[in-house]
Amino acid sequence: MNVKKLAELSILTGIALIIFVVELQIPNPFPIPGIKLGLANIITVYALYHYRAKEVMTMVFIRIFLASVLGGNMMAFIYSFFGSVFCLTGMLLLKRFIDEKHLWIASVFGAVLHNMGQITAAIFIMGTGVIVYLPFLLVSGCIAGAFTGWIAQIAVHRIKGNDAKQK
Amino acid sequence: MKNKVLIGICIAIFLIGVIGSALVLFAPHGTKVNIVQDGAVLYTFDLSVTEDQTLEIEYNGRTNIVQIENGKIRVVEADCPDKTCIRMGWLETGSLPIVCLPNHLSIEFADEREDLDAVIK
Ligand SMILES: [Zn+2]
Repeated sequence: MNVKKLAELSILTGIALIIFVVELQIPNPFPIPGIKLGLANIITVYALYHYRAKEVMTMVFIRIFLASVLGGNMMAFIYSFFGSVFCLTGMLLLKRFIDEKHLWIASVFGAVLHNMGQITAAIFIMGTGVIVYLPFLLVSGCIAGAFTGWIAQIAVHRIKGNDAKQK
Repeated sequence: MKNKVLIGICIAIFLIGVIGSALVLFAPHGTKVNIVQDGAVLYTFDLSVTEDQTLEIEYNGRTNIVQIENGKIRVVEADCPDKTCIRMGWLETGSLPIVCLPNHLSIEFADEREDLDAVIK
């Protein structure tokens, strides 16, 4: 991994963390654990289409670790970890079928898989009773995933525009 | 073509979610509740006959204070970082449990099937 790439990945991780902290300050109207916009997903979806699988995975795992420390909720790490493993595995496979112009579709699958990973972790820790949350998470995952994917698409478009101007 | 199939799957997931949520929200529930920690039932109450009280439930030095009042149950205080359990309010919606993920606690309606089993036996 060269220095330029390392710097880019570090900046992306930093941006994702800032987005995470900002999102923590937004009051969540839905008192259901696991329901959130997951704005940091914008960075993951973007990175997925611009960096290697290994690089994206390293970035995401460093981010969720630091996010759990910053949020003062280490339990959250286990849920984020399961969620991220599901989400990254799914999106890396789907990347072959989905081109960059349809990022939002990849993002919807990513978000839904993230929620499924979280529920899996919750079933192990809390017992099977929590499975009733799954349908709510499917709905919120679809909406949040489409939203963050759409923003990532706009970002990709703008970045490409800037690159073209510079050249 | 491929995209259409994938979008179709997204829509299907969304609809399954909506239907599932409606089923959970409108599911009938009884008056028996279980307080569960780490998947094991700590207490069972029949709220229709339980006197008003508060319980302190500990997990690794952190506590949740659970209140039972007028046949309803909720978490009033918690040491958890997210406080979602408090914000969930009274346990009354469909079959939706109150959970505190950081403290491994959930308060859920006891499965109606158990009652049915008891009747059959
Ligand atoms: Zn809590």
